[in-house]
Amino acid sequence: MNLRVNRRNFVAGGAALLSLSALGSRALAEETRLRLLWWGSQPRADRTNKVSELYKAKNAGTTITGEFLGWADYWPRLATQVAGRNAPDIIQMDYRYIVEYARRGALAPLESYMPSKLQLDDFDPAQIEGGKVDGHFYGVSLGANSATTVLNTVAFKEAGIDMPTQKTTWEEFGKIGAEMTKAGKRKGYFGFADGSGAEPLFENYLRQRGKALYTADSKIAFGPEEAAEWFDMWAKFREAGACVTPDIQALYKDSIDTSPLTVGKAACDYAHSNQFVGFQAMVKDKLALTNYMRIKPDSKGGHYRKPSMFFSVSAQSKVMDQAVDYINFFVKNPDAALALDVERGIPESKAMRDVVATKLDETGKVPLDYVSGLGDLAGPLPPPPPTGAGEGQVVLRTISEQVAFGQLTPADAGKQLVDEITRLLARG
Amino acid sequence: MRTPAGAISVERYQGAVAEGRFRRLWNANAPGYLFLLPWLIGFFGLTLGPALISLYLSFTDFDMLRSPGWVGAANYVRIATADPKFSAAMHVTLTYVVLSVPFKLTFALLVAMALNRGVRGLPIYRAIFYLPSLLGGSVAIAVLWRQLFASDGLVNAALATVGIEGPSWISHPSYSIYTLVALSVWQFGSPMIIFLAGLRQIPQDMYEAASLDGASKFRQFYKITLPLLTPVIFFNAVVQTIDAFKAFTPAFIISGGTGGPINSTLFYTLYLYQEAFGNFRMGYASALAWILVLIIAVFTAFSFLTSRYWVHYDD
Repeated sequence: MNLRVNRRNFVAGGAALLSLSALGSRALAEETRLRLLWWGSQPRADRTNKVSELYKAKNAGTTITGEFLGWADYWPRLATQVAGRNAPDIIQMDYRYIVEYARRGALAPLESYMPSKLQLDDFDPAQIEGGKVDGHFYGVSLGANSATTVLNTVAFKEAGIDMPTQKTTWEEFGKIGAEMTKAGKRKGYFGFADGSGAEPLFENYLRQRGKALYTADSKIAFGPEEAAEWFDMWAKFREAGACVTPDIQALYKDSIDTSPLTVGKAACDYAHSNQFVGFQAMVKDKLALTNYMRIKPDSKGGHYRKPSMFFSVSAQSKVMDQAVDYINFFVKNPDAALALDVERGIPESKAMRDVVATKLDETGKVPLDYVSGLGDLAGPLPPPPPTGAGEGQVVLRTISEQVAFGQLTPADAGKQLVDEITRLLARG
Repeated sequence: MRTPAGAISVERYQGAVAEGRFRRLWNANAPGYLFLLPWLIGFFGLTLGPALISLYLSFTDFDMLRSPGWVGAANYVRIATADPKFSAAMHVTLTYVVLSVPFKLTFALLVAMALNRGVRGLPIYRAIFYLPSLLGGSVAIAVLWRQLFASDGLVNAALATVGIEGPSWISHPSYSIYTLVALSVWQFGSPMIIFLAGLRQIPQDMYEAASLDGASKFRQFYKITLPLLTPVIFFNAVVQTIDAFKAFTPAFIISGGTGGPINSTLFYTLYLYQEAFGNFRMGYASALAWILVLIIAVFTAFSFLTSRYWVHYDD
């Protein structure tokens, strides 16, 4: 066989290919194309896609492509797309990362769209503050939540133990946990999950003591003593058998499906209130929520209401107006609010909250009641965590595991935690 | 100058140029290059190009979102002097390489020899034994490994029958790396296939002659099989060592990307990935990647240098 491609054929073929692709792009250019990226589970995707359908029905000529991933895969994907100048128009953003993305110029400031296109006047002002970085507004909160303890009510009933209440202290909680483990109604079942490496739990503990994780100017806001006492408290829980063993805790991978509560190893775990819907979907027993334990019966202000997640607009977006319009629809349209329910947190808009509240089912009411009933437990929103906070969380988890597996004493762990976090904040 | 056309001798090439017939030569080879084109595009566009860019990035502070700034050798200096996680990751990776490669090769050779004894339905067995390698580092494997090695897994259920209460192997810092080594050994398919082919190459009459001389099975293995198989062993060892250094998915999936507990499964590539995509330090991660290239190159060069003392080519 004699295969020959001469220059003329090659050029002709190439031209044909090029014109084909040009045709393709012209056909697309007639409609606005919005790209969405978010993290979450399938139920969240279903709700989000429903809102997109509603939006398309009202805005002919708009196509919306949505893509979703799990939390751990989401961030590498987003970073890669932004670096490749291929960022989605609308980005679901977390409180932890908004500073990093905003300061690196990846997000579009949205204050110029308010109040004409972005009507957030019935939002809680503190939650709008939460979407600001260096005075610019980058993230529209999609719902409020707060950190919470999830309880398996059936396990408590079986063991004949009273569940912790709003007043329960850590000391009492330790006793409750040990009793639950001792009751032995379920095989290999413990009182609660080992929360020594859970950042929100540690932060709550620090706030009750008048400290915090980070200061507004990106410095560490606690000392080795507080950290050592924290690790020491958990070492005692472990010794008393109140919480799960370290090798069981290490199976937890920051997802609802791997939580010791979900896999039937413990009667309590720590989460965010909007995740209650997800937990209840996976656990057969009826669940309930309560706050994180108090240090003393009168300790206050550990909790805060925080934006569970934001929608931000990419600074690279070519259809910014449309993206802002979609976000406004997402948080202010009653049909959209009903489709979204409280799965992403309690709606920030008062009007939407009222719309949703009337139609909530029993599971949906739990987080709503919980967040609105925090009372003196809730304090002000801390400043967004600094660059490096993501690594700080990993350091806390690693060191807590070192204590749990007996490689470090609580006192040394406290020192090491402060040292390592100070070092990585300096590195930036 | 080297000829670009591998199939044509230097003499003919020079002759062709001398006679001004370069064009004819090109015409003769053009279809070849045309067929090579997909690979060439892939090699230059997706392998060599990005590799060179990453070499450049390793001297910058690139954070994926802003444009890179030149920092000289700072990344390399930090790796060498001020990065405890680098040494931790190196330690985990070396442990993995040193354990998984010999065990995997031994196991693969044993299975290949068993299959080489003329079992009926060989293709079926071969396919079955190869299957785990195809499954690779999928999520299903992570789930399977958890079912086996978690606190209430099959392994502990088996141990319980003899009265031993085992920990959750997969999430215990003292044992987790061994569950990953076990996973690697279990995926012995590809060296096994190569061993099997190598065993088939050994002439049967050698064994016949040996048994006539009264050599035992063990002696035959030691004096005939092993020496004649050394080229294949060498090939498998080099390939598997490189693969083990580059291992990523097993640890990523089983530890949920954390390399935990307590960095006990923090493979080098996993650390590199965390730095690049988790902590936005693409420049630093590029430097880590090039250090890994160097380490693999040194190991491979060492294997080739020592190979002349133990690998026998029958030529």
